[in-house]
Amino acid sequence: MKPENILEIKNLVVKFPVSGGLFLKKVAEVKAVDDVNLEIKKGETMGLVGESGCGKSTIGKTVINILKFSAPGVEISGEVWIRTDEGEVNLLRLNNNEMRKYRGLIQMIFQDPYSSLNSRLSVGQIIEEPLLYHTKMSKNERMDRVAWLLEKVGLQAEQSKRYPHEFSGGQRQRIGIARALATNPKIIIADEPVSALDVSIQAQVINLLQELQSEFDLTLLFVAHDLSVVEHISSRISVMYLGKIVELGPGEKVYHHPIHPYSRALLSAVPLPNPKLKNKERIILKGDVPSPMNKPSGCVFRTRCPIAKPECADFIPVLELKTVEHFAACPYVSA
Amino acid sequence: MSDKAEKKVSTSIFKKRWKKFKTIKRGYYSFLIIVFFFILSFFLPFFVNRDALIVKYDGEYYFPVVKFYSAETFKQQGVQGEANYRLLKQQFKEADSDNWVLMPLYPFGPNENLLDELTEIPPTPPNSEHIFGTDDRGRDVFARLVYGFNIGLSFSLVVSFFSYLVGISIGSMLGFFGGKIDIFGQRFIEIWSTLPFLFVMIILSSILNPNFLLLTIVLTLFGWMNMTYYIRGEFYREKARDYVSAAISMGAKSSTIIFKHILPNALTPVITFLPFIIVANIFSLIALDYLGFGLPPPTPSWGQLMNQGMQNIEKWWLIATPLLAMFLTLLSITFIGEAIREAFDPKVYSRLR
Repeated sequence: MKPENILEIKNLVVKFPVSGGLFLKKVAEVKAVDDVNLEIKKGETMGLVGESGCGKSTIGKTVINILKFSAPGVEISGEVWIRTDEGEVNLLRLNNNEMRKYRGLIQMIFQDPYSSLNSRLSVGQIIEEPLLYHTKMSKNERMDRVAWLLEKVGLQAEQSKRYPHEFSGGQRQRIGIARALATNPKIIIADEPVSALDVSIQAQVINLLQELQSEFDLTLLFVAHDLSVVEHISSRISVMYLGKIVELGPGEKVYHHPIHPYSRALLSAVPLPNPKLKNKERIILKGDVPSPMNKPSGCVFRTRCPIAKPECADFIPVLELKTVEHFAACPYVSA
Repeated sequence: MSDKAEKKVSTSIFKKRWKKFKTIKRGYYSFLIIVFFFILSFFLPFFVNRDALIVKYDGEYYFPVVKFYSAETFKQQGVQGEANYRLLKQQFKEADSDNWVLMPLYPFGPNENLLDELTEIPPTPPNSEHIFGTDDRGRDVFARLVYGFNIGLSFSLVVSFFSYLVGISIGSMLGFFGGKIDIFGQRFIEIWSTLPFLFVMIILSSILNPNFLLLTIVLTLFGWMNMTYYIRGEFYREKARDYVSAAISMGAKSSTIIFKHILPNALTPVITFLPFIIVANIFSLIALDYLGFGLPPPTPSWGQLMNQGMQNIEKWWLIATPLLAMFLTLLSITFIGEAIREAFDPKVYSRLR
């Protein structure tokens, strides 16, 4: 691992088996994540964008090692290294028991604030739960910490006795954030944390995340499909298409000057709140995203690419440095 | 948020449902009545008993309801073994002494043979002394009915508890771990379900003497399978939800996830089915008793009374009273079940009114 990095994903491949027939044999597989390399520096916010089904959430769930539970047959290869106080650890090599030790360091904020909180537990019980597993605090200490966390995320300490159904979506997401922060984690995976909220609440939650990030020196992997949200919060952005990272660079640059033809098309689709700019050039891609069970050979984007050449079918493009810290996986474009 | 809203008492989902249950009067009152009578039935020896509550004899107090006294203790003539307190009361009255006997409200025991006292050949029809008459062995029907209520309902609760325990444990295992455990477990349950209950029961009771324990075990062995389907399904649904992923990502152990997170969310079918399963188990015991494979005689039981009634079909009280008791019990428990189902239903107006 490079010294400035806190999380490194190397050659990550995630395959979901597709079973069929009488004996449920594996008949095909979906490569949701295809040879992804990603380095995340300490304290930065890495935005991961792409359309539905491109594998961005799968990366988040692989990093936090919960994919094996929700999809038992999944095949994961590659390495996910994190830096801990005792050195570097490859999370994918750990079994469930060994992993439990590191769970306090890396936490997740879930997309749906309605299903991510157990409706049978009070808010206090929900937030104190990680403390039960990772600390030896007494009941009073835990309750103090819960109250402190609730105030940190903009709720009131007295609300710890309430139940989740008594809160709005935005408040529930704040509870989810408080829970993720409970054990003082170093890395937080935010899996589309605002896409289930309405726009006015989105801004509040994003700003809250930013404040907490600087206060607690957090490293964020921010998964989203909403580009303007990602641009607002991310120091770097990676753009995914069909399980591959096609562009990676500083947030400003990727958002305003995308290089890869897919990123260009994706970013031209962002609605702008300025009516004078309505004549902005829009790149409309042909066709649909190919099925991940049956990906095109060579460059996965070539079937829809406006600048595709016959040679694109022959080789898999790798991320190349285009300008300062700005990479794109296409040899035919330049910044 | 205003101060007023802050003071609002926070309610868990369970409390909300309990509140809703209370608003459904028919079910709520049935629940209160059944619970009241069931608790009361454990104190039946103080209300329906051949033994006196208190006897004062020669300046000393005796409590026959909790202790055995032979007839000689009270110098009672012509009675073997335990004293006959109804007779004693009469004798004391005739002797006009300081001695007295305080009898329970209904002074007949469930297993007491009244052949000596009855003027007719039993079964005798209801009269002011025996309000539901006597059965063919000269025992008081009312006493047998009320004791039978306690035994039937306790038995049913015990069987329901154990079949739930087995069913919920196995169902949650299948649902939570899935995969091969689930496939083989389900096939086993399907095979097990095809065992004919009555045949096994008949064979078993020809080898072993049926008693409370044996019947509990057998009914549990045949009663747990149904609940596994519901619990398994609930577990499959609940484990895919984000709060379970969140619990894993927090570092919860499998047992914590099962018992703290998923199980409380998977209990809806368990609770809504409970009254109906209790009813079914009461019914099973009545049926077994009726066929003669149930609890050993002379245990008071409704099924056994009905069996007598079928043999003496012209003695209407032998068949009408246990049927009425069964009808009322099962009806009120069904009302409870209906109200619970309604209380757990998120739709407001789905009940037929």
